[in-house]
Formats: sequence, C-alpha cells, structure tokens
Amino acid sequence: MPVTKRKHRDETSHRRGHSKPSRNAKKKKKTGPRLPSSLQKQLERLNPTVPIESDQDIDSADGDAAERDLLPHDFYEYEEQRAEEESKKNKRYDPGSVDNLQLPIDRSDESEDESIQSDDDNEDDDDDDGLKRTGGAADDDSSEEGDGRHTRMLQGITGMPSEAFEGKKKRKMKDDVIPELYPESEYNPSRDVVDGDGQISIDDLLNPLQDNPGFGKLRKRIQQIENNSKPIHAPLRTADQAKVERKVAYEISKKEVTKWQQIIQRNREAPTLLFDENVDLGFSTVGAIASEFEPRTEFERKMAALVSDDKVMEAHKKDGSRLLEMNMVSVEEEKDRQSRIAKMRSLLFRHEMKAKRLKKIKSKTYHRLLKKDRLKTEASKIQMDPEAAKEFAMKQERLRAEERMTLKHKNQNRWAKRILTRGLNSQDEGTRAAIAEQLQRHAELTRKMHSMKDSSSSSSDDSSDEDAGDSGSDQDMASKVLRKAIEKTKKVIEEDNETPKSGLLSLPFMRRGLEKRKEAVVEEANLAIQEYKDSKNKLENSVGSEDPETTSISGRRVFGASKTHISDAGNKVKSDYNYGSSDSEDDIRASKNGNIETGGSNILQKDVNSDSVLIQEDTDNHQESVFKDFNEIVKNPGPKTTYEVSLFVSDTWKKAKNRNEGGTNGKKSAIAAGPVRQDIKDTVKEAEEDSDTDSSGQMVDGILTAGSNLSYELPSQEELIRQAFAGDDVEDEFDKYKMEILNEENPEPEKPVLLPGWGQWTHVQKKKGLPSWMLKEHENAQKKREEAIKKRKDARLKNVIISEKINKKAEKLHTKALPFPFTSKEAFEQSMRVPIGPEFNPATAIGPLTRPEYLGVQYNECSDVFSELKKEEPYTKRNIRGGDREDRLLRLLRLLRPSSASVSGFLCNGRLVVCCPSHPPLCAGLLWFVLFGDLRRFSIQAVAVPRGEAPRLTSPRRTVPSLVAPGLPSPQYGGCGFLMEKADIYSFGVLILVIVSGRRPLHVLASPMKLEKANLISWCRHLAQAGNILELVDEKLKEHYNKDQASLCINLALACLQKIPGFERGDGS
Amino acid sequence: MLTPISEIWAEADISDELDLKIKKYLRGEAASFEDLKDRKLKRQLSVREELYGNAAKAAAKAEKWLMPNEGGYLEAEGIEKTWRIKQEAIAKEVGLVNLRNQYDIVLPDLGPYTLDFTSSGRYMAVGGRKGHLGIVDMINLNLIKEIQVAETVRDVVFLHNELFFAAAQKKFVYMYNRDGTEIRCLREHGAALKLQFLKNHFLLASVNKFGQLHYQDITMGEIVGNFRTGLGRTNVMQVNPFNAVVGLGHAGGTVTMWKPTSSAPLVKMLCHHGPVSALAFHPNGHLMATAGKDKRIKLWDLRKFEPLQTLTGHANTLDFSQKGLLACGVGSFVQVLNDVSGTQNYSKYMTHSMAKGYQIGRLAFRPYEDVLAIGHSMGWSSILIPGAGEPNFDTWVANPFETSKQRREKEVRSLLDKLPPETIMLDPSKIGTVKSTYREKPTKQEREAEVEAAVEAAKGTKLKNKTKGRNKPGKKIQKKQDAIARVKRPYLEEKINEEQKISHKKQKTGENIDLPKSLQRFARKKSS
Repeated sequence: MPVTKRKHRDETSHRRGHSKPSRNAKKKKKTGPRLPSSLQKQLERLNPTVPIESDQDIDSADGDAAERDLLPHDFYEYEEQRAEEESKKNKRYDPGSVDNLQLPIDRSDESEDESIQSDDDNEDDDDDDGLKRTGGAADDDSSEEGDGRHTRMLQGITGMPSEAFEGKKKRKMKDDVIPELYPESEYNPSRDVVDGDGQISIDDLLNPLQDNPGFGKLRKRIQQIENNSKPIHAPLRTADQAKVERKVAYEISKKEVTKWQQIIQRNREAPTLLFDENVDLGFSTVGAIASEFEPRTEFERKMAALVSDDKVMEAHKKDGSRLLEMNMVSVEEEKDRQSRIAKMRSLLFRHEMKAKRLKKIKSKTYHRLLKKDRLKTEASKIQMDPEAAKEFAMKQERLRAEERMTLKHKNQNRWAKRILTRGLNSQDEGTRAAIAEQLQRHAELTRKMHSMKDSSSSSSDDSSDEDAGDSGSDQDMASKVLRKAIEKTKKVIEEDNETPKSGLLSLPFMRRGLEKRKEAVVEEANLAIQEYKDSKNKLENSVGSEDPETTSISGRRVFGASKTHISDAGNKVKSDYNYGSSDSEDDIRASKNGNIETGGSNILQKDVNSDSVLIQEDTDNHQESVFKDFNEIVKNPGPKTTYEVSLFVSDTWKKAKNRNEGGTNGKKSAIAAGPVRQDIKDTVKEAEEDSDTDSSGQMVDGILTAGSNLSYELPSQEELIRQAFAGDDVEDEFDKYKMEILNEENPEPEKPVLLPGWGQWTHVQKKKGLPSWMLKEHENAQKKREEAIKKRKDARLKNVIISEKINKKAEKLHTKALPFPFTSKEAFEQSMRVPIGPEFNPATAIGPLTRPEYLGVQYNECSDVFSELKKEEPYTKRNIRGGDREDRLLRLLRLLRPSSASVSGFLCNGRLVVCCPSHPPLCAGLLWFVLFGDLRRFSIQAVAVPRGEAPRLTSPRRTVPSLVAPGLPSPQYGGCGFLMEKADIYSFGVLILVIVSGRRPLHVLASPMKLEKANLISWCRHLAQAGNILELVDEKLKEHYNKDQASLCINLALACLQKIPGFERGDGS
Repeated sequence: MLTPISEIWAEADISDELDLKIKKYLRGEAASFEDLKDRKLKRQLSVREELYGNAAKAAAKAEKWLMPNEGGYLEAEGIEKTWRIKQEAIAKEVGLVNLRNQYDIVLPDLGPYTLDFTSSGRYMAVGGRKGHLGIVDMINLNLIKEIQVAETVRDVVFLHNELFFAAAQKKFVYMYNRDGTEIRCLREHGAALKLQFLKNHFLLASVNKFGQLHYQDITMGEIVGNFRTGLGRTNVMQVNPFNAVVGLGHAGGTVTMWKPTSSAPLVKMLCHHGPVSALAFHPNGHLMATAGKDKRIKLWDLRKFEPLQTLTGHANTLDFSQKGLLACGVGSFVQVLNDVSGTQNYSKYMTHSMAKGYQIGRLAFRPYEDVLAIGHSMGWSSILIPGAGEPNFDTWVANPFETSKQRREKEVRSLLDKLPPETIMLDPSKIGTVKSTYREKPTKQEREAEVEAAVEAAKGTKLKNKTKGRNKPGKKIQKKQDAIARVKRPYLEEKINEEQKISHKKQKTGENIDLPKSLQRFARKKSS
C-alpha cells in the first residue's frame, strides 16, 4: 500500500498545519504533535494568513464538504467528536457495555480469522469503520475514499460483502495510522516537544484509545488510578524487601515457637516436677509414627496406593521374586532413562568445566598486583643487572626511534585524521583517551624541546646566584641576624621596664608580682642574648675562644636567680602546708604573716623556718595521730588535748611573728631565730619523750592535767557523785585496755627511723630528715589503721570491746560464695531463715517444704537392672543356659531404644569399654548382657557420660570410634513400620560388631576400604562362612586380645543378626 | 441476721492474735525479690515464701491446741501493790499441788546451798558448801540420792540429764551419776568456783580460782578450750541460753563473753564501777542483767551492748525465769522484777524476805513451774512466783514426765544432734550465711581506672625547673615518662605475677604430657 502511506503522510503534514488553529477550538486538552517555537514562528511567517483560510485551502484541495465542519479540529478532536456521536447517538456502539466483555475474544477472533465478518462490527476498533456504515460514503479522508472505492470494486469482482475487505483494511489502517502519526525521528517530533512544554503524559498516550471499544478495562484502570491519585511507590530495594520479609517470617516463627513457652515456664517455675510413668508422650518410635501416617497430598496418595497395593503386599509377604517380576521395565523406558542420565551428565560436565575456568580467573586486584610486582622486579633488575639495563636502554631507544619515525604523537596518521575530522565528541571513550594521550605526548615532547634550549642559561643563573650567596659568607648573614635578635630582645626588655604608678597595678603585691615576672622575663632574655652571643662567638672564631667571663657571669646570675626563686616557692609551699595542718585560727594568721615576711630574701631565716617547720611537722604528725585515736574513744579530754597542741604551735608562732616583725634587719632576725629554734626543739623533745614511753595513758594523763589547768569545767552533780562512788579509775583502765586491744588487732605502724649508716659522717640524714617516701608510707599506714578502727563494731561503743578476730574454725559454717541462682546476699540469707525440719514445723507443712525437686521415675530401668543384677548374683550354669534367659535378655534389651543408638566402645586388652552418652540404662544393659552372656571373662568398664556431652573417652592406646550409627537399626524398621522387640537384638548385634571391629557399620564411601568390607554385617557373614571370623577384629589391636573371647563375641553378634526375626539366638555357641 | 458486735470484735482479736503468732513463726520478713533479675529464682522464692507462710500459719493454729495452759499472774486491785502480796496470801489462793511448792528445808550444818535444775525442771541437784550433795525429785519431793563428799563443794550442775551431775569441789571437778557414784574426776579444771553446762554442745564450762576458763567435752572427754581470763578470780558465770556464749563477771566491773574456740573474749564490756557480783541472761538471749558492788543492777541490750535500765540495789545472785522474770537476791531478801509492759522496763513485782540471818547464795527458777528455789546458808527454800515459768512444755524439748525409755532415746538423739564447739558465736543466726574470707578482687575496669588515675596524677605533677644544663625539654619529657612508668609499675608487676601463677598452674596440670622422655620415669605413675 505505498499509495495510502504516502497519502497518510500528506495528511499528517496537512494536519500539522492545522495544529495551531485547532488549539484555539480545543475543548479538552492539548494533544498531538507539537513544534518547537522557532519552527512555529517560521511557519507563521510562511503562512501569515488566518488559519481557517489555510484550512480552507487545504480542504479545497480535498474537495470534501463534510470535512469543512471539522476543519478547526485536529485529528484527535475530530476523533473525539466522532466518538461523541457514536456514544450518544448510536446505541449499538456503546463501548462500555460491549467492549469490556468482548475484548479478548475479539482480539483472538481477529488474529485467527480476519475475514470473518461479525454482524455488529464492534471488533473493529476504528471508528472510521462505524462512520462508514452510518454515514455511508461521508468520509473525510481521500485515502479512505479510495479505499472505499477499492472495496467496492473488490466487492463487485468477488461478490463478497464489502466488510470482508474492509476489515482487513481497517486493521491495517489502524495499525498503520497511529504509529505513523508520531514517527519518532526528528521529522515528526511529538507535539509537546514541538510546543516546548515537557514530556509525554499518560493522557497523551491513552487519548487515542479513548473511544475505541475494547479498552474498557484499561480505561477503568486509568480511572481508578486517577481517582485515588495516591502515587504508587517504587518497589523497595531487594535488601529492604528481604528485611521486611524476614521480619514477618520472624513474627510467624516466633508465634510458632512461643506456643511452648508457657509450658516451659511452668516447668521451670514449678517447685517440683513430676515424672509420672503413665504420662502419654505420644509416639515413641519411628514405627509408631509411621503407622499413624495418612497420605494427604496427591503424590502421597499415589504412593500409598502403590505401596498398599494388594498385589505388592502379597508379593512382599510371600517372596521377593514376585516383586522383581512386578518391577519389570520396558526397553524404551530404560533407553529413555539412560539418555536422560547422559544428558544430565553432560550438563554436569559442562558446568564443572565452567566452574573450573571460573576458578582459574583471577580478580582485577590480583592482576594489578601481579603487574605491579612484575614492574618492580624489572626495575630492580635494571638497576642491579648491567646486562638488563643495557637491554632496557636499547628498548627505550628503539621505542624512541619508532616514535620519531612514525611521529605518532602528531596525530597525522590516517586513523587520527579520520577521527579528528569526525569530531572527537562523537568518538567513544577509548579512542578519545588514545587521542588525548597522543596529544599529551606531543605537548610533552615540545616542552622538552623548549626546555633543552633554555636549560643552559637557567643553570648558569642559578650557579651564579649560589656563588654570590656563598661568597656573601653566611657567617656574616648569621651574625647579622643574631645582632638583630639581640637588639630586639633588648628593646623588649627596656619597654617592659616601665612600671605603672597608679591604679590596681600599683598595689604592692601586684607590683611585686610584676617585678617577679619581669625578672623572669629579663632572665629569659639574658639567656637568649647569651645564646646569641655564644653562637656569634662561635661563628667569629671557629677555634672557640669564647668569652668565659661573660658566660660564667651570666650563668652564675641565672643560677642564683633561679635558685632563689625555687627556694622561695618551696618555702612557701612548705609553710603553707604546715600551717594548714594546725587547727587554731591564730596559726593561720601567723602563717600569713610569716608568708609575707618570708618573702624577703633572708636566707638564714629561711633555713630556720624550714628546719623548724620540718620538726614541727614531725611532732604534729605524731601527736595528732595519738590524740586522734584517743579522741575517738575518750571524748572528754578531746578539746583539751587539741588545745594543748595549738598551744605549742601558737607559742612558737607568736615568737616567730615577733621575730619577723623585728626582722628587716638580717642580723637581728638571725639572733632571734636561735632561741626560737631551741624552744621548738625543746618542746618537741618533750613531746617525743612522752610518746616514746610505753604507756600512752601516762602521756594522756599528763596532758589531761596540763589541759585541765587551762580549761576546767565544773562537772555536773551526777558526775561528781559518779566519780565519788567509782572505784579507782576503772573506766580509764578499761580505755587503756581497749587501746591495747585495738593496737593488737589493728597494730600501729612502725615509726620510721633513720636509716642506719646512711650519711652518718656527713650528717646528711640529720639535716634532710627522713626520706619522703618513708614519711608517706607511715602516713598511709596510719590512715589505714584509723579507717579500720572506725569500721570496727565497737567504734561507737564507749565501754565495749568486741573482738574482730576471725575464727578459722567457724569459717566452714559459712558459705564462701553465693550459691548459683542467687545474686544478692540478702535474698539468699532471707531464703534460709526458716528451718524446714520436722522439729520446727507442723506435720502438714513438712511435706511441701521438703518435697524434692523431681518426683516420679527417673532411670527406674537402671535401678531395675541393678536390682536384677543383685538378685542373680549367684552365677550358675543353669542361669546362663536356662530357658528364661532369652526372656530376660529381651526384657532388658527393650531398654535399648533406637534413639540412644549413639554409642561408642572399644575392646582393648580384654577389656570392653562401652561409652554411652545419653542412656545409662544402655550401658547397664550391655553390662548385664556381657556378664550373663558368655563374655563374662572380659573385664568390663561401663561409663555413663552425662547428657549433652559427646563421648569423650580417651585411652592412651587409641581413640574411640564413636558411632552414630547408620545401619544400626534392623531392617524391620524400614520394612513394616512396626517395631519389634527382636529388632533391638539386631541392633545389639551390630553394636557388638562395631565394638569388636572398630568400624562403622556402613563404610560405603570415602574410605579406602575394599568394597566387600563396606557393609560390616555382610562382611562379617562372609567371613563367618569362610571360617576366619577373627579377621574382623580391629587390626589396631594386633595380637593383644583373647581370640576365644573375640570369636565368642562375633558369634554372638552373628546370632543376633539373623535376618528373620525369631531365629536369633543369644547363645554364645 | 446480724452478728453481734462482740463476736466481730472477738474474731478480729483472734485474727490479730493469729497474725502475731504467724509473725513469730515466720522469723522475720522475706527479702524483697522484686528486684531479682532471675525470673526462675524469683518464682521459686515466692513459692518458698508461700510455703513458709503456710507452715507458719499451720504452726500458729496448732499453737492453740498445743499450748492449752495460760501462765499465772498476780493482779493488784486498787491501791494494792503486787509486791505487798506475801507468800502466805498466795498460799491461801492456790491449789494443793502448788501449795506443795512452798517450803523451807532447813539444813543448818552443811550450808550454804547451791542449786541446779534439769532442763525439764523435774530434778534438782543441791550442793552444800560442806560436802553435801543430793538429787531431789521435785514432783514427789523424793530425795533420790544424797552423798557426803567431805570436802568443799562450790557448785553443782546437772549434765545433759538427771543421770549425771558435776560438782566443783575443793581441788577438782567431779562427775557423779544419779546413784552418787563418782564417775570422773576432771582434774584439768582445777579448783573450779563455778560450773556451767552447755547442753547443746555437751560442754562443761568452769572458771577456777585463777580465773581460768575451761571447756570440756563430756562425750569425748577432751578439753576444748582452756583460757586465762587475766581478770582475776571470779565466781560470776552464766551461759547465755541463746547462743551458748559464757559470760563472766569480773572484779574490775567488766563482763566478758567467751566461746570455746578463741582465747580472747568475744566481748568485753565495762558494766559497773565496782566488781560484778551477779550475772544472768534472759532466755531469748538479748537481755543481760548484771549486778555490781556499786549498788547497781543493770539491764543490757546484748544486740546493741548498751544499758537499757539501771536500777539501784545490790544483788548477790540473779536469775531470769523462762517468762523473763528477774529474781535478785541479797542477804535474806528476794526481789522479783517483772517486765510488765513488755518494753523491757523492769519494775518490782514481788518480794520475799527470809528469816533474818539467812544468807541467800543462789536463786533458781524452776523450769515449767511458777517456783523460785532459793539456796541459802540454812538450806533451801521454795516460793511461788506466779507467772514465772512456761505453762506448756514441749515433750520433744523437755519432758518433766519422761519415762526412762524416752530419756534414753532423747539422749541418743541429743548426742546425734550435738553441735560442734565452733558453732558458738555471738549471733548464731549468721551460720550458713555468706562470708567470703578473701577480699574481692577488683574488676578489670576498676583496676584500669585506678591505673589511669595514677597516671593522670603522675602527669599532673609539675617538674621543678632545673639548672641550665639539666633543663632540656628532652630530659623533662624523659622524666615525665619515667614518672608514669614508675606509677604503672606496681600494676604491671601484679599482672605479671598473676600471669605467672596461671602459667604455673597450667604447667602443673599439663605436666604429665609435656615431660621430656628423660624425665618421664620420675613422673608419678597413674594407678591403673
């Protein structure tokens, strides 16, 4: 249909022309193709006429009157109008009623057979078709007219109804026209784009379908979307989604799990747990569970039908051969299966190959590192190896030559030229990069060239500069700099020398502070200057003829100044400390005075001060400690004693004060200092003497009397009477005694003594006093003691001594640590406060109080076993051979549940060690079995390992094979689903085999073992038939076992392993 | 139907009473386990508490049936005072059985007498200073046996039952059986002045002339403790029935309390300014009465070791009854104090004066009876003190009407239940509690914090400016670092020590495995 196509195109071009005016008359929305504004302008320039006129022009060309009505409308509007006509006037084409139902079927019809014409032509979405039928030949499009003619012609020729042809055409029309309206290329941009506003909206896309029948569903959906215009969120990231999913899954699984929680909690919190024998726990065995199985899904049902097929059952019951017959397989099936398997294999193989290849591929980083390594090694090679270096040079040269020859960097080869002509922007990244590289190289080379030219001149400049610098002698420079520095510092000092005459800064202490600071600054400056000078000197005479005087003087000055400074500070600190420790206010005042006065630089006085201070400190320490102890116990003399102390102190300080007041004169103060010092010493001596005597009570008495002179209070009447009636000083004696006890139980730390021999000749120690660490230690010990005394129970009780001695024998009556679940001492002790014995409680209460934590049967089987063991102690032959033995065995082995099949054991030096992690009865049963079977001569060691622990029996000889036994349960489990008693015998047989051989019952894969040995049981049978059973025994045992016993064992096992239940014989024979 | 108000009141009274009793049996409050984190434990404890509560309730309810008798009392009307009521007046009011408890036994030759009752109060041992020993059945006032040992008898005491008694004689302590046969001579005690028997521990305690305190286990015969009190001769000795601590009163006015496992007194307290003349313990163990020569009788709270009450008066002998009445005897005059209000505020309850010239040596309340026995220089007397004894006896504890079979059984039982001497302590309720001997190790965090603080302190110390050559910044830094290192050092050493210990332990445990072959033969062989 080339003709039609062309025509369509014409139409579109026409319509584009219409587009603008159509906008004016538009009722609904801006739709259709749009032109960019520039184009539009151009168009307007070309067609300055009124749009209607142009329309008319075009329409006149068409020569269709009907068209004229619709002139102002654009293609869409036109359609729309038609749609209105249809929906309102023609009931037959109610799109909502018909199309919704029929759309899919219509489509299928259309696709299947286009020629079939239905009566109502609603399968044709195109409204033009409808128009044609309603409006007859009234069609706007010339092409359609043509088409109509054509169909008529066809009709005439073929004699078929026109619809047959029309349908085809219309379909084509529809298919063609709409895409043709919006070809995507630049020739026909969408109208939005042309108009310059934005993107294609969903309406744009859907409007053409607005009235087409058959899109009802879509329309509805759109409506819905519009109605609830809530935006649909983008789907979550997969990780987030997974998170959400996990959350939900967790909730569900939690619900599942928590349904046990109540029971668990109840059990946990119950004071006693009852284990009743009769509690029905539901299924206990696999067989029981299997018997209750009911097929539910289809697959299961099918399986069940097959399994429970009568024929199969019968065959199974009768003989295995019938089963084989029933299991016939046809040749085709087999072939099919084989081919399937082959396919699978090949797939697998391919997959494997792929995986191998993938495995070989190394990562990018790997390659990068590899490359780096390689380069490194090469570089090092070049450096180390002359040969390689040469080669490298050659290579480089060659490269260079190549470069020069080709002049690649000039971008003059064909490739480059072509690229450049095409424009770099249109190239892909790789080529762009390549070009850029070349350009760069070019630039580099040109730069190189230039630099080669310039280099000579620049280097010469540099050298000349350097020379000039050198010749200019850096010494001079340095000296200049130094000189400048000195000048500057001096200036700074001079500037600082100005002192304020008024204001806050003129206050004496401020001034003093300023002076001090200034001094420091000056010192610093001096130091700096000194340094400068030194360096200068050094520079001047390299031999080092320094000016010793200046340095020494300055050094001395500095030294002296700093020393005074330091000593000042030290003094202050010391004195402060000392005064602070004394109690009375006078002292503090005195100390202040002292502080201010000692600010002067009287060295002698300072010495005195510091000495006295030291001694004072000593005595203070000592006395205070004694008094403190005493004070706490005896409250009465407390204040007196302190007063006494303060008396000491205040006296001395009064004197010191006097001295200080008098002492602007150095000499005077020195004279005054002498006696003061003596005084202090005297008092100190006295005090020390007092304290040195053993009975501290005497000292206390003395002080008491001394104190009472000073401050005597009239005692109350009662006190007087009490004193009158009191015997001798009972109380004092008691106090004394208490002191003794305290000293004994919390011994007083040893007083530090001078180190013997240390500085004896030089009296260094005497001068300096005790080392500070000693004093500190002593102080600490004292403090500790005081604290301990304070913590005593009798600290507050005046006339009571409560011994704090620890009784080691009674320690065992206390628990050393809190028992497990308890975390607080109080809770534990309170829980123990009520006795629970029968002596202290009524009979009704004792039961619940002393009820054990667990009630009911616990390992009852175990105890049964042992009681049975005891009962049958006298071992007789009758017992072994007796007929009831089998029964007993069975009874016992009933305890060996398949659930407890994880057992390990070994046979070693005639000792059978069974290790059973979970089930003591199993051990016991084994024990019993072996005892009463003929294995009696094995010495037996049964070890029951607590629950939850893996079998952990280590022997010095060999490790224990632990087996969680596949192949241990007898075939009856799988077979009929009913667990029989004999089945356990089978298990036991396997177990014995396992124990003897030290192998797993099934060693199919991953073992170097021969295939025949893979199944322990069959192997054993095989050996038994051959008559060399002993091969079965573990090789590792070598010859260290009793052969008779071993063969007995194996025979026993074989007897247990009879295939058909009922044939087992427990006899060792 | 309305219940009469009186009935409601009665019910309320009953419930109150019951509550009180329950409280008694609960033995204190439960610890609050609300803040326990372990829910399982919490639940278990609450269950336990519930059980305790039930038990206590059951016991309280049973009490009504198990304790049918009520204690006697004296009631004064109007301006009457209880202490004015004479024994003659009481005699008129009481029944015949009780009337038999009023008597004087005059034995002028061998006095003064000392007395002791068995725990059931059925038997009394009497000991005359001049060698007269006897056992009397108090129910029928039969003299079971009397002997003359022909030397000074200072004290007499029953052992665990009426079959045996001990007498402190001139030089030694002797043990006799009921028949007057001398069983043992306990020489280690020396010339004991006072004897006491600790019936739960089977210990015979004595204090002798030299102020030595002896404890002897009478089941095995070994001397458990032998301590020098160092406070001189004393004959004031009493056992605290609550904790079996022996109290001694000394001439210095002090009272000391002893246990057999420590040589130092548990408690030493100054009670009087003069010598202590008598001492008695309340049966509940919290109250002690002391009398001194300073004319004071003091009541002490033994939980706080503080005096509760000080009364004036002398007392040569003191005794608490089962119900907490305190009898003081001096000269020929007996005074009984009573704690009327229950606030441990003792006041005069009864008085009794003997014939002039009688010197009271010993007062002893008879258990489970309202009887006070007075041992004096002219024999012994017995008077009625209403409300003195416990009205109901527990046959498991002490049965006055014990058959010989019961006695035997009880003897065996009490021997089985014998307590070791180390259980004697000031507060026996502390037995079974947690007491960690070692100091708790500081946690890692604490230790780290400590180290950090120390390091900070070391950093904070300002270094003195040194002279020129030594003031280099490098040196300063060095010094600072040194100081820090010095501070850290002890902690590090501690750590190293610990590690060494651990490694040592490891070595010890792993010794057998790692021994080189040459040394293996020296390793201890395992018993196979």
